[in-house]
Amino acid sequence: MTSRFIHGSCIVLLFLGLTTLSGCDDVDTKLQTPTYSTNLKEDETRISVFEKDFPLQYASYMKNNESEVMTEYKGSVPFRKNDNVNPLPRGWKHAQPYLKNLWLGYPFMYEYNEARGHTHAVTDFVNIDRINRYAVKGTLPATCWNCKTPKMMSWIKEYGDAFWSKDVNAFRGKEAINAMDETIGCANCHDPRTMELRPYSEPLKDWLKRSGKDWSALSRNEKRSLVCAQCHVEYYFTHKDNGPAGRPVFPWDKGFNPEDMYQYYKEHGPKGADGRSTPFADWTHAASGVPMIKMQHPDFEMFQDGPHGAAGVACADCHMPYQRVDGKKVSSHWMTSPLKDPELRACRQCHADKTADYLRERVLYTQKKSFEQLLLAQEASVRAHEAVRLANAWNGEKDPRHDELMAEAREMVRKGQLFWDYVSAENSVGFHNPAKTLDTLMTSLECSNKAVALAAQATRYGISPALEGDIKEIVPPILEFSRKMQQDPAVLQTNPWLKLLPVLPTAEQVWQGQEQVSAR
Amino acid sequence: MKIPCNGSWLKIFLGGLLAGGVLAAVLAWGMRVTDSRPFCASCHVMQEAAVTHKASTHAALACNECHSPANLLVKLPFKAKEGLRDVIANMQGRDAPLLPGVATRDVINENCKSCHSATNMNVASMDAKPYCTDCHRNVAHMRSKPISTRTVAHD
Repeated sequence: MTSRFIHGSCIVLLFLGLTTLSGCDDVDTKLQTPTYSTNLKEDETRISVFEKDFPLQYASYMKNNESEVMTEYKGSVPFRKNDNVNPLPRGWKHAQPYLKNLWLGYPFMYEYNEARGHTHAVTDFVNIDRINRYAVKGTLPATCWNCKTPKMMSWIKEYGDAFWSKDVNAFRGKEAINAMDETIGCANCHDPRTMELRPYSEPLKDWLKRSGKDWSALSRNEKRSLVCAQCHVEYYFTHKDNGPAGRPVFPWDKGFNPEDMYQYYKEHGPKGADGRSTPFADWTHAASGVPMIKMQHPDFEMFQDGPHGAAGVACADCHMPYQRVDGKKVSSHWMTSPLKDPELRACRQCHADKTADYLRERVLYTQKKSFEQLLLAQEASVRAHEAVRLANAWNGEKDPRHDELMAEAREMVRKGQLFWDYVSAENSVGFHNPAKTLDTLMTSLECSNKAVALAAQATRYGISPALEGDIKEIVPPILEFSRKMQQDPAVLQTNPWLKLLPVLPTAEQVWQGQEQVSAR
Repeated sequence: MKIPCNGSWLKIFLGGLLAGGVLAAVLAWGMRVTDSRPFCASCHVMQEAAVTHKASTHAALACNECHSPANLLVKLPFKAKEGLRDVIANMQGRDAPLLPGVATRDVINENCKSCHSATNMNVASMDAKPYCTDCHRNVAHMRSKPISTRTVAHD
């Protein structure tokens, strides 16, 4: 009895001693990420095949399907971003009522919705009215697929640079792509064999090359933002005079800021008679006739020199916070608004001394101011287009420097719109970079006001009376518009700016989602 | 009077003394080891705290020079309580507490003062902020540094 007690005690003591000794290895400050070796192929594009090896990450990725929750300014309901009239899911209290006017003559006037989870990317793509569904051809380049699917890698391998200028609808059918399984997925950011972070994006790889950066030499911290910067950036399509037609380019060579991009786009358009490239234009505004630049979601450019970005905080720090699932620590793969979490755990990995309520109020502090100024900048921009439109049609007395003044006025319309669109298209409503956001909006307002003044001066102030008063009465916001509605001449009579658009030939819908329902 | 110098009582007494000494040494060693970073970091949830500690100016100090009271009579029950709670939480697969509790914060703050009292002798530095780390923020495990400099996934 006694000896059993002594034996037992010895074993317990030995165990405790060994446990204590087991903690003898100190940590390594060179953090080693876990390594993997899968049986997957390098060019694997289906999301579902990753589920078996990575069930936790897969399950968290599937949370991107959530499409109901709204925050104050953002969220996952794909409401129409110009609609502040209708209730969800069509409209939302914080919408930008002038978007269709400001994009008159460009596909964005047909449909532009709030973004939602990556898992919906292809589904939303094949249902958007920006791509023509009333003909077999979509009339946009296949480049539009660039940020929607990992299949880009196979398509570029197959077609090379000829891919970009093919028609977007050539890859639309179910035989070309599986909407749910080949949407933005694992292979867009991971090498399927090792799961290491890797870029799939041609335009990002081009930029790395142009700026002398080598992916394999970049830090893990930089990669945790750059995988997002494959897509959450402003871009344009190469004009055929300057390279492979339709190849996407990130206009970053002069810098990431709105002024840098404005200067960049003074070139890169079609080549003139002297062999030099003229200013780039995405489209000509259908009311003012100004050659415009469209900004698209410059999330990375806005963020990188903001308070978080400049401090080295990565996209993934806030949007892919570590979480413990089944006793394992994994990155959350639910890329969504961090404000959806009532506890704001992602923020409090760093701001541990703050409450969730305090942090949320600080975000809204910036967003509220940014959004209000954005709407004012857009109203000024509409007035600038209207001023140039009226001046274009002016037959009365003109200033001797008329042409010069009008050229400058057009330039100011273009610049003012590039500036507000840089803010509008960015998805944080100012939070990613509060000072740059508000500064950009001030400059936008200044440019648009200058355009109005210059156009008025060019007409010896003849157009000024017509620009007096509430802009919403002079140019009412266009609430509803689509490709179908443009086929109806009566619809085009409902708004002074819609009258400026051509009536489209009557046509039935050819594409419904991925299905071709008619032959022409 | 004859002093028994080879009796069994003396053997028992000396043996007991020796055993007591060894036990005290083992316990002292055990207390020391279980104050230290390698022991604390043997649970993976403590990795971030350990890595940021090792990279910091306080790297040469043990975890418990901040995280437990210096007074042995208070330290013994504090360590037992904290250790038991951490073992249970870790067995249950829960995350390490997101924030240290009030008890830990108070203990840490006393330890700031006990080493750095001379620096603060002539200023009322405990009046404006409740904790020293309200200004010396990154002493709290470099919390404002990017996540990738502090931690990695593990499974």
